[in-house]
Amino acid sequence: MKRTFKVVPAIALAIAVIGGVAEAQTIKIGVNEPLTGAFAASGTYVVNGARIAADEINAKGGILGKKLELVIEDNKSNPTEAAAVAEKLITSDKVPVLMGAWGSSLTLAVMPKLMEYETPMVVETSSSGKITTTGNPYIFRISPPSAIEAAAFKGIVDKLELKKVDFLVINNDWGRGTAEDFSKMMKEKGIAVGAVETMDQGAQDMSAQLSKLKGTDSETIIVTTAVDQLTLIFKQASALGLKKRIITTGGSQNPDQIIAQAGAAANGTMHLTTFLPWFPDKTPNPEATNYFISEWKKRGFDFAGCTESFRGYDGIRTVAAAIEKAGKAEPAAIKAALWDIKIKGLNGDIVFRKSGPEGKESGQSQPNVYLIEITDGKIGMKTL
Amino acid sequence: MKSGVAILTVVAFASVPLWLRDPYLMNALITTGIFIIGAMSLNLLLGFTGQLSLGHIAFFGIGAYVSALTSLGFDVGLPFGLRIVHVPWPPIVGFVLAIVIAGLCGYLVGLLSFRVRGAYFVIVTISFAEVVRLVALNWVELTQGPLALTNIPSITIGLPGLGDLTLRTKLQNYYLVLSVAVVTYLLISRLVHSHFGRAMRGLMENETLAVSVGIDVTKTLTLAAVISAGIAGAAGSLYAHYIRIIDPEVFAFINTVTMVIMVITGGKGSLAGPVVGGMIFGLLPVFLRPIMAPEAQWIAYGGVLIVILFVLPRGIVPSLAQRFAKPRSRAETVAPVAFAERDAKEHA
Amino acid sequence: MSEFLQHLINMLVLGGTYALLGIGLTLIFGIMNVVNFTHGVLYTFGAYIMFIVVQQLGINFFLALPLAVVAGWLLGAAIELTLLRPLRGSDIDTTMLVMIGAWIAMQSGALWIWGGVAKSVATPFPEAPLVLGPVSVSWLRLFVLAAAAMLIVVTYLLINRTKLGCAMRATFQDQDTASLMGVNVDLIYTSTFAIGSSLAAAAGALLGPVYVIFPQMGDLAAVKAFAIVILGGLGNITGAVIGGFILALAEELGAGYVSSGYRDAMGFLIIIAVLIFKPTGLFARSERVG
Repeated sequence: MKRTFKVVPAIALAIAVIGGVAEAQTIKIGVNEPLTGAFAASGTYVVNGARIAADEINAKGGILGKKLELVIEDNKSNPTEAAAVAEKLITSDKVPVLMGAWGSSLTLAVMPKLMEYETPMVVETSSSGKITTTGNPYIFRISPPSAIEAAAFKGIVDKLELKKVDFLVINNDWGRGTAEDFSKMMKEKGIAVGAVETMDQGAQDMSAQLSKLKGTDSETIIVTTAVDQLTLIFKQASALGLKKRIITTGGSQNPDQIIAQAGAAANGTMHLTTFLPWFPDKTPNPEATNYFISEWKKRGFDFAGCTESFRGYDGIRTVAAAIEKAGKAEPAAIKAALWDIKIKGLNGDIVFRKSGPEGKESGQSQPNVYLIEITDGKIGMKTL
Repeated sequence: MKSGVAILTVVAFASVPLWLRDPYLMNALITTGIFIIGAMSLNLLLGFTGQLSLGHIAFFGIGAYVSALTSLGFDVGLPFGLRIVHVPWPPIVGFVLAIVIAGLCGYLVGLLSFRVRGAYFVIVTISFAEVVRLVALNWVELTQGPLALTNIPSITIGLPGLGDLTLRTKLQNYYLVLSVAVVTYLLISRLVHSHFGRAMRGLMENETLAVSVGIDVTKTLTLAAVISAGIAGAAGSLYAHYIRIIDPEVFAFINTVTMVIMVITGGKGSLAGPVVGGMIFGLLPVFLRPIMAPEAQWIAYGGVLIVILFVLPRGIVPSLAQRFAKPRSRAETVAPVAFAERDAKEHA
Repeated sequence: MSEFLQHLINMLVLGGTYALLGIGLTLIFGIMNVVNFTHGVLYTFGAYIMFIVVQQLGINFFLALPLAVVAGWLLGAAIELTLLRPLRGSDIDTTMLVMIGAWIAMQSGALWIWGGVAKSVATPFPEAPLVLGPVSVSWLRLFVLAAAAMLIVVTYLLINRTKLGCAMRATFQDQDTASLMGVNVDLIYTSTFAIGSSLAAAAGALLGPVYVIFPQMGDLAAVKAFAIVILGGLGNITGAVIGGFILALAEELGAGYVSSGYRDAMGFLIIIAVLIFKPTGLFARSERVG
């Protein structure tokens, strides 16, 4: 899985150097993801998912008669690098469209470059509301911002009979955004909101926060963070004898990894996810889900990563569909085509609706949100 | 003496946009240039006063935030029911304020350096940078915390009689950064060759002797810290208006490390050191990118650092200078403190 | 009240491992005057050794711990011999930067070999915690506290009751005199770095199974180690131990009662406060070094 030599960009560079290439033999999609740094694990999952999509498309003949080529660059989990990488992909590699950049601050750093070079980007994971509301018409997002997640959760909330909730969120835009949007939704429903505790991105010991939450009068804790911290939170909560109901959000939960690493501590926890790799038949597109999962397993990847990598898969398929619709691999045409496509993504229809200030709207798709529960080390749909 | 080389270098840099057409490399040069300015300011503390500051990114980041907030405006509540509302001002004002406020913070750190030295100073500066990062992260009302300050406007310069010029393109930003870098270099050069500069070096070489000769330790160190911080703040401001998004990750330790690497490999205590070190380590990632896997790039980066330090422990520029050195007045090399003393007496 | 007691228990457990980290670094920092940025990597290394030995090789958990300590000792000695000894006599910043280079290279190496996905280590302890009235603590953490305490005692005995320890203390006080007295300073330096590194690896080996293991886990640990060293005074082992517990207490109470967002800032705030008011550390008896 670890390659020591990047063949694809090296060839692309060679072509550019030798040729002054007049006619491209492939259609390129720029992939701007964190492969090193704090988000390396997630970025790698997304890239591997993207590769499955590209290979699938190429096996069926490619797009517009040409092969799809993913130009993958590492943004090192760093906003400055993310912007530099976008620049390189657009100006040096001449990609007509990008997918990226995983984290919200990474995506935000890339956005001015998209405006400058008038190139569209499909955002596959970032959740900050700002991305689609600051008036950047080159952004097309398939992942849900916390506001949409909160809206989707609204329907479930009554059935769970929540009375008062606390929040324990990661101290970044994703966590804080979730706390804000979910709080608003809860209050509208008459549910009281108690404490809002945060934890630093790299923190491993949340015992202090959990001890505090153990003593409050809320019966539920909403937790938003990535799988590593979730594992720690469950273990530490269990060690503290914390018996409240825990619901996680955000879509980066990787429940299989949690079960494997937190063991019994994970039982009884519920998770709001955006993909159901365990129940392919319950997903909106069972055939594609089954294909994706079998390919993923065939390549020897960690099954736990499916809940993140499917976004890379859907992202590339979205881009490919737009290129097909546009009829040519050019930024302006692809951008226009993105508004017209409708494909069956792995967790819902991908259709872009307008979001943001008038005249410069971004595209936002509305994926499904599911509630699952871990019982006795197994994942099940929460029956309500 | 070296001015011929210096002028040639500036001309070479100025001519780059004429033949380099690749925007990606231009972008890399601009961000490298910004960090080189930061490195030069660090060199003032590190190379000329011997104070090892590992929190230098704090001044850079503070400059960035001050400049961004000045040009975006903010509305924040303070204790006791006070509320401050600020309307956006032109970015150029932000640039000036960044220098002032960063310089002020430098003053505070300078005061601290009077009490602690060496290894302790290192730790205290790291702590300072971390606390600033956590404040930026948690004081969401002011800094937007992790939600980031976005849509920061580009710098606009008012040209008398010609109207306003907004520096939006790469070309314009390149020359802006180059100008600030040249001005910084000249400023530091003047400072170092003045009696103040000799006082700094005297302190570094032999503090007890320097004090006995009349050099005011606190004043010298504090002034050096203020100037150093102010310049770093300027670099931070340039960064904010070029990248146009600032989040608390700007305070990450890796950014201080980048500047420290530039200074020490280039040669601390030499004026050209940070520039040389900066060009190498700012552009190294760009060259490693197409030829190695991402993880391997970092390993190579660390490896190159170690190799340079082993082969040229004093840094590239001093090592090269030694090879081509003409014998200087022996007195001056041997006893800069004596010269500081002479200067002190003259200005008494 | 029960929340406060819970915080206290948390603090005790955390403090033990912080103390281990701090002792290792204070020895290196104090005796060798090296700003050791690889300390965090050794911590990470100890944790990954546990992963390899327990999860991949299937060896007993309790046997794996000493293996991790030994591995840390070896890696530390290797680093000292290849990177530090040739630079003996150079500026403190050159050495520091070499340590930074090694840190970057090793951490990226860990990422390359094991990937960024966090790993966990199975432990033989029951998952249900021990409940004492209103407070709970997991068996694993109690074990960690006990193991840390044992290692602290062993180190203390090593430094204060053995010939090697005596030589180390002599070198700390005055390197030249010690050398004149027949102390092999080279050997002392290598031993110090190796011992300090093995303590960091031990802390990682103990905490890895408590938390999860990933390449950047050592970064935060390293910074806290620096805080503890400052608190306790350079080269002062007792100070480092007490400093470890003080830091843990400040973090627990700070996060619990002040603001969880600033939890990890506690260490830094302490550093700044101590250095403003008592630069030699709370417990240092000897003069200010550096």
